[in-house]
Parts: sequence; structure tokens; C-alpha cells
Amino acid sequence: MVQRRPEWLTGYSLLSPAIIIMAVMMVTPLLAMVALSFWTQQGFELDRSFTLANYFALVEPSSEPTYWMGIPFPLTYPVPAILLIKSLAMSLAITLAVIALAYPMAYFLAFHVRGQKALWLVLLTIPFWTSYLLRVFAWKIMLGFNGAINSGLKSLGVLTEPLSFLLYNPLAVMITLVHAWVAFAVLPIFVSLDKIDRSYLEAATDLGDSRLRRFLQVTLPLSAPGTIGAALLVFIPTVGDYVTPTLVGGPSGTMIGNLIQELFLKQNNAPLGAAVSITMMVTIGVIVTLFLWLIGFRRLRSRAR
Amino acid sequence: MQRIKFIDRMASGKIDRRTMLRQAGAFGVGLLVLPRLPQAAEVLTCLEWAGYDSPDYFKSFTTKHGGAPNFSIFSGEEDALAKVLAGFKADVMHPCNYSVNRFVNAKITAEIDTAKLSNWKDVFPALQTASGVVMDGKVVMAPADWGNSSIAYRTDLVDPEYAKNESWSIFYDDKYAGKVCMLDNEIAITIGMMVGGEKYETAAVATGEKLAAAAKEWGTKVVKNSRFLWNDPSELQQALASGEVVAAYAWNDVYRNLKREGIPVAYAKPKEGYFTWFCGLTMLNTGKADPALAYDFIDAWLSPDTGKLLIEGSGYGHANMKSFEVSDKQAIADMGITDPAKHMNEGTLLIQVSDAVQTEWNKVWGDLKALKQ
Repeated sequence: MVQRRPEWLTGYSLLSPAIIIMAVMMVTPLLAMVALSFWTQQGFELDRSFTLANYFALVEPSSEPTYWMGIPFPLTYPVPAILLIKSLAMSLAITLAVIALAYPMAYFLAFHVRGQKALWLVLLTIPFWTSYLLRVFAWKIMLGFNGAINSGLKSLGVLTEPLSFLLYNPLAVMITLVHAWVAFAVLPIFVSLDKIDRSYLEAATDLGDSRLRRFLQVTLPLSAPGTIGAALLVFIPTVGDYVTPTLVGGPSGTMIGNLIQELFLKQNNAPLGAAVSITMMVTIGVIVTLFLWLIGFRRLRSRAR
Repeated sequence: MQRIKFIDRMASGKIDRRTMLRQAGAFGVGLLVLPRLPQAAEVLTCLEWAGYDSPDYFKSFTTKHGGAPNFSIFSGEEDALAKVLAGFKADVMHPCNYSVNRFVNAKITAEIDTAKLSNWKDVFPALQTASGVVMDGKVVMAPADWGNSSIAYRTDLVDPEYAKNESWSIFYDDKYAGKVCMLDNEIAITIGMMVGGEKYETAAVATGEKLAAAAKEWGTKVVKNSRFLWNDPSELQQALASGEVVAAYAWNDVYRNLKREGIPVAYAKPKEGYFTWFCGLTMLNTGKADPALAYDFIDAWLSPDTGKLLIEGSGYGHANMKSFEVSDKQAIADMGITDPAKHMNEGTLLIQVSDAVQTEWNKVWGDLKALKQ
């Protein structure tokens, strides 16, 4: 009665719903986007003949450099390059801040919470019980001109005039994004910390390591896969985020995602928007690959097992 | 029989997992291939400015059809146009005299048969034939509301000298850096050129080197000085009310609302001139709803009741002559001018520009904003 199917077939058939969804919902649009990036916009119509013009427009040199933050960009159309670099820098800062905040939380959960771990994990997810948009607006209220911080400081007598540098700048975007992503980062770090065999730590102590040395030599390397995973989980999506800068960034908080949205919609140049999107994806891909290769991710993973 | 047997077997727990899954799968496939049941009639979809989706503006439509249309809110005509071109199916759009040509050129509008609008006969004759209402001999926009764009400023927070010499230059004055708020629109560059002495009609159609130079000289400055670039009048209203910004590009309604809240605010008559415009409703050919619904909606907008609301509530003018007969006399007196033709001449009427010019300006403005440091 029972006939044995090959193991790989069972594996794939179990995966098939996910694979089909991925193919239909992700790969197809992606291919459409790649195709779009080789076309051009002519007024309200699309010119479907193959051209690299959109990609060339992103790197076309110009003798007159545009200065941004003192950095010269010798390009005819420097906006995508500038915003890409700005977004990468902002995301890097966000990632570092998120890890710095999430690591102690995860550490506390893994080593100092006995028994009630599930409860703590549920507590961590409480911010997700409201929509992301509401959380961004909450930050707008916090940082605003008449917001919580300003009126709080004013009523304490610290300020006479509200601080205006809190909202509508890259810092506001970064604060909001850090808050939004911290909980996502805690979980992978917590899992890898929780998996650490406590006898290694005992052995390190028995062999005379100080607490700091034990942390640096044992805990940190063993938790690296989770930390790196968390870093990527935060870095990759934040580069392309556009709703946060739209709401709390003002023009100076603009990121590459806003440009893509603007190109697709207001500037009605979907092909160029597609080219910028593809360039952004490739850039992130290269950066992530380089990063993983630099730190020897494979080695790390095999060691953690 | 088969079906009853299946249920019986299921109830007695004799069905194995595989059979159950197979039956469930068959049910799902069967459901998908069933002919779709006829659906209720399509609901009207309207692209509207923020605030204009209030049900008070189309009461007769709601009474007749038992519900409001679906709304999608836009912050500028170019956003709405892009949305429709990207495939959004809307039936009615609310463009203005200076922007309706974009929709006509994109071939997404439908001609309006004015015989189907019961209120059309009461529309100011000057508006019935105005440029923007009629294009190439066809009525493409039913005029509804008209008003101004000028500077709303806080009389208590702006230098008192300013009241004696009101000017758009406040947006380009470093003294007010971070305290002013411009509309998120490329008109910011045009206004800069007007401050520099250029006439509106030539400034608005500048291209190439001239536009690039103006963007660099004036655009950069206004983007830098603006606390934020507003898209939503209520956000602007809050910022003016709290004193976060002291002067802003504003329409009549923001000024009117602040005044009503008792905030010391003035609506400037700048020496470079203030802007006038009129907007209306355009039928799009992209929608799925019955055009009769669109006509009812437009007709509701043209009714004197809606006009009364616009005049008394927002300080806007209305296209229907009878609106001015039924509105509060004080509100009309506050408006100053009750004849749209005279109103347009009094200020600087915003003009249409060609698609090529508009596309170039969109790009220049987009780049300017993105490069703010």
C-alpha cells in the first residue's frame, strides 16, 4: 500500500506552495522590472526597444561636479548616486544602533531570564500589535514642534524655545527606523545566544578567563551567526524604506526609496525608476556578499553548529 | 449519493488524511472555476483633494444612491495623473484650469455632456466657456470651486514691517529660514523668479538653462528655508497654529480655518501678485462605474448647497451663481469678490503648460528636493 517516494520529491512537494508563491509573486515582477529598465519613457507612452540608456543616465559623467556634503559627484544626473550613498550610510548607522540596542536585550533574555522567557518574548512583540504607520506617526508626535519631547522639556523649564532639529531630518528617520527594527533583531540574536552550550562558559571560567574575556572569546563568536543575520535583516530593508522618510524626514531625510517612488509616479518615468531599483538591489547584493565573505560567514556557521 | 456517503464517512471518522486533502483540493478547484456570480453594480471611484472627500459636498449623490463613492486622495494633480497612468481605475478626477490639459493629453478624459447636468444652466457663463473647461471645443471639466493661492502668515510672529510690504520674498529670506512652509510643488521655483522680477507668464514656461539656473538660485533656497514642504492642508494648518511655521503658501481654507480658531493670521496680497485658480470635475475614461453615477456626482458638486458650504466653510468661490444667493451675506462680504471672471483678473491666473515643460519641471523639482542636505 505505502509506496516510497524519493526523498527529494517529498521535500520539493512540501516546499511547492512556497516555491509557487515565490515564483509568481517575486520572480515574475522582478523579471518584469528588469525588462522595464531596458525600455524608455516617451511622454505618456513606453518605448519598448532595448536600450541601456537608463543605466547610462545613472553614471553619465559630467565636467561640472555636484557637491553634496562636500563630496563631489561628477555626474550629469547625480541624484540617484547621492541618494544611494546617503541611504547606505543611514542604513549602516541604523544597523549598528539596532545591534547595539538589541544585543543587550537578547543577552538579558538568554542568560538572565529564568522560566518566563515566553512571556518576555511576547512582551517584545507588543510594538507590533499596532500598525507600522501608527508607530511612525507616534514618533512624529514625539519629535514634533509641540511634541512630547519639546513640551516635556519646556514644562521642566529646560527649554524656552522648542527644538526644531528633532523632526524633518535624517536623524528623525534613523531614530524611527531603529525603533521599528529593534524587535526584529532581538529574536535571531536571542536564538543564537540561547543555543550556546553553557558548559563552554563554565570551561572558560574554570580555565581562568575573566568575564569580559569569556564574553569576547566564547559568547560573542558563538552568537555571531544570529547577530549577522539580524544585521542583514535590518540593513537590507531599511536601505529601500520610503514611508518613514516620507512622514518624518522632510526633503533632507529623502532616501533612495523616495526617489524610486517619485520616478515611478510623479516623474512618470517607470523605466528609469526600474533601473534605479535594480541598481539598488545589485549594490545591496554586492555589499552583503562582500561583507559575508570578509567575515568568513561559512566558517562561522560551521563553527556554531 | 457520493456526497452523502462522503459526509457520513467523515462524520464517523473513517476518512484518511489523503482522501480528505484530495476532496478539499477538488472543492477548492471547483470553487475557482465556478462562473463568477453577478456582482453588485460598480461603485463610483473619485480622485479627490484632501478634505474634498467630505460627504457634505455631494449630499444629493448620497441621498440618491444610498452611499458615498470610493475616494482616493491625492496631494497634487501630477500624483493623481501618475496613479491613473499606472493603472488605477478612477471615474472622476478633480483637476484645475491649469492642470486639466495634462489629463486630456494623456487621453484619459471623457467629454462631459452638459445636458445631463441639471445645475449647468446656473454656472457662471464666463466659467462655462473658460479655457480649461472647454478644450478643442469639448467640455472636459465641469467648473466647481475657485479660489486663491497666497501667503498665510502669523501677524504676531512675523516682523510687523512685513504687513506693510507683503511679498513672496519671505520664502527666500534667510531671516525666516526654517520658519516658512512652501507647497510641495514646482511653483516654488516660478515664485522665486517672480521675486527676481520675472513675469509669471514667462517664468512658468522657462526651460533648459534658464530653468536650471532658477532652480539653483531660487529653488534650492526655498527648499532649504521651508520647515517642510506641505502636501496636506491640515498638516500646514497645525504648523501655522502652533507657530512652528510663521508664513506659508496657502489656499483660502487654511486662512479661513485659522481665523475661525482665533489665531492672529493674515492672508497676504503680495506685491508680486497672488494666484487665482478654478477647479472642477473631469470624467475619466478609465473607470468601471456607470457614467450616470459620475454625472450625478458632478451635478451634486455643482449644486448651490455645495456652493454655500464652500463659501461659508472654506472661503472658496463656487461656480454656481445661485450659491451666492443662498449663502451667508457676511461670508460673501469676507470673500471680497463674488464674480469669478473679475476674481481671475484681479490676481494672476495659473496657466497651463505643455507636457514637455511640465515633465521637465517635475524632474527639476524632484531633484531639488532630493538633494536637500
